[in-house]
Amino acid sequence: MLSRSAERLYWLARYLERTENIARLVNVHMNLLMDLPKGVEMGWQQLIMINASQEEFSQKYSLANERNITRFLLADYTFSGSLISSLSAARENIRTSRELLPDEAWEQVNEMYLFAKNNLETVVNRRQRVLFLKEIIRSCQRFTGLLSGYMSHNHPYRFIRLGRNIERADMTSRILDLASLLLSESRSEEVRQYEAILWMNILKALNALLMYRQQFHNKINGDDVLNFLLRDDNLPSSVGCCISVLSDCINKLPNNDDLPKILIELQAYVKGIDTIHTSQEQLRGILDELQTQLGDFHNKIADNWFLTT
Amino acid sequence: MKSIWKNYRTDTAYDELMCSEFQSRAVSHQLCQYLDSLKKEDIDKRKVAAELAIIEMGISFTVYSEEGNIDRAWPFDIIPRIIDAREWKIIDKGLKQRLTALNLFISDVYGDQEFIKAGKMPAEIISSSKNFRKECIGVKPRHNVWANICGTDLVRDKDGVMYVLEDNLRVPSGVSYMLENRVITKRVFPELLQDIDVLPIDDYPTHLLDMLSSIAPNQSDKCTYAVLTPGIYNSAYFEHAYLAQQIGAQLVEGNDLIVNDDDCVYMKTINGLEKIDVIYRRIDDDFLDPEVFRPDSTLGVRGLMRAWKAGNVALANAPGAGVADDKVVYAYVPEMIRFYLNEEPILPNVPTYLCSNPDDLAYVLEHLSELVVKPANESGGYGMLVGPHSTAKEVEDFRKIILKDPRNYIGQPTLSISTAPTLCKGKLEPRHIDLRPFILQGKNTFVTAGGLTRVALKKGSLVVNSSQGGGSKDTWIINMEGS
Repeated sequence: MLSRSAERLYWLARYLERTENIARLVNVHMNLLMDLPKGVEMGWQQLIMINASQEEFSQKYSLANERNITRFLLADYTFSGSLISSLSAARENIRTSRELLPDEAWEQVNEMYLFAKNNLETVVNRRQRVLFLKEIIRSCQRFTGLLSGYMSHNHPYRFIRLGRNIERADMTSRILDLASLLLSESRSEEVRQYEAILWMNILKALNALLMYRQQFHNKINGDDVLNFLLRDDNLPSSVGCCISVLSDCINKLPNNDDLPKILIELQAYVKGIDTIHTSQEQLRGILDELQTQLGDFHNKIADNWFLTT
Repeated sequence: MKSIWKNYRTDTAYDELMCSEFQSRAVSHQLCQYLDSLKKEDIDKRKVAAELAIIEMGISFTVYSEEGNIDRAWPFDIIPRIIDAREWKIIDKGLKQRLTALNLFISDVYGDQEFIKAGKMPAEIISSSKNFRKECIGVKPRHNVWANICGTDLVRDKDGVMYVLEDNLRVPSGVSYMLENRVITKRVFPELLQDIDVLPIDDYPTHLLDMLSSIAPNQSDKCTYAVLTPGIYNSAYFEHAYLAQQIGAQLVEGNDLIVNDDDCVYMKTINGLEKIDVIYRRIDDDFLDPEVFRPDSTLGVRGLMRAWKAGNVALANAPGAGVADDKVVYAYVPEMIRFYLNEEPILPNVPTYLCSNPDDLAYVLEHLSELVVKPANESGGYGMLVGPHSTAKEVEDFRKIILKDPRNYIGQPTLSISTAPTLCKGKLEPRHIDLRPFILQGKNTFVTAGGLTRVALKKGSLVVNSSQGGGSKDTWIINMEGS
């Protein structure tokens, strides 16, 4: 497999995962805000804190309202972290790797891109935005299903899984980061009342609510959610699970050097997080460290296998 | 005949589907009857469906312009062009004969030059050809075939005869569009293809792979194939990616490859370096290897010519094959067929006046306003003069251009190339078309059943190139026996 192709497939998967994550996040956040009473210190700006893009946002928009933030996150071609930017980057990557994927793969991504492009203006309208996001999420799921159903579990497939799971682990940790921020000690009594709703929405943002309910038969609480999303062995969006998938792929790839060892260490780090006795402050430090390590791991992958280093 | 045929005028040109304004040809009878049974709205719906399919399938080509590169959807006309299988059988034979002779000629040019020694062609034609590569002298590609993939342009004049307009032996493109056109037609007119006996074309990738494997230096089962593309900004990138996918080859760019001290070609993979045996290259000779050709080329691979000459890698088409893709050399093809094969040409050439020849030059200059004058080595329909469609000033300007470099120009009578009904604003109108079949030659020779029909979408226009407002049609070779 060409190094160039490995790189393109890896990024294809990362960008598509990002596309789906942004769509899900905006969707859930919209629902959350509808549930919370007016006046609670939660708003749209939390969404741009997740991917640390406050600065870029404030350079472009003066008001952090629903209209501007959704436009920025979904429809802004000039913001590299927006849904449409991720989706067009995914499309460019698949356009140049068609020969490695099942026939319909390119068509599906191309159709999704055309849909997004032709409906970008509708995202300012809440009702239309719901439909838009639903279609995007569904298309991403369809693509993942197509690959898992029809693509040989070969090296190209492994690079796709690598990209998807690094992005996923990163997103899960960012969402938890946001949660720990919202639930910090300084939060008001009013927010405390709605804690369960917040945690529920965090699970929803990762499409993990039903799986959570099956595993924990009690009221939704922060400790269990943290445990579930960080360390669970079976939930695909848990950080631990993502790292297992990464290991699984890395172990089967040639020239993997010291990458398996790094992953074992990373997994031990995640499993060792004590979700009960850490303060919110400490938790944020742990999550930041986790994101840094994922970033380093990405660099290792690039050094090892990609053309452009 | 109903509304969509209203005012259909077959003018002086031969019409592929209609023998008069009211009468379809036998071969197109079923299609015309079917089109008649459709309401205008039905036809419009199908046209929209086809356009949608093209956008979704991402069939595009890139146009270079001052505003940057634009990916344009492939312009497609849903009404197929039809040829009788009995006629096609002869064309098929003629194309094979022609490519066989051309390959013998190229081998001869880089070998003993018997053709020239026999006085059949002046030596200057070769020595002055910019596609003659002295680096290729003495090389013997497998099966003595240099042009493995050829796209030959055919046109039908008003006398109903199919003429060969040119042979594209360098990096001919269009075959992916031929294949995709059929996919679209199957979506748009599924019921028609069920009832009519149209020869299939989707075996092309299989034959392409067969041909490539027959030229591999190492005749084992474990060959690695690559399609070498200049990259995403090339107008035919879609086709390069498509073909690589269809034959299971690696799609590579120049910097994916490296030639090592052992004169073998390797690609940079996640396993380290892997050897490549056969390269279907879609880069012009000029850019292929900065060590031998243009030193500033960043598209090619340093040392590729070394590897090829050492017999460690097969290149299709072979470097230097373009020497026969020269409109001056073209004029000699009928003579090549007689010389090398001892046969009479099955497909005629268009009469050609070579401006390098003083008598011909005088004729061309005298008849500029009637002739088509083309540069010998351009493709894409650029830099040519269509006398009858040009202003007096354009003709005079072109006269100066020819006189500066007569070797590089040829003149041909302006053919009245054939037309076919084409959907224009909800109505059928005749538009001029040509046909590019694709011929593969390695150990065996294969011709596509039909080819890519290109259509000049502008009324009266004779220029079919996609870069200049041309579109395309599906091409049906219909078996009439038993119907």
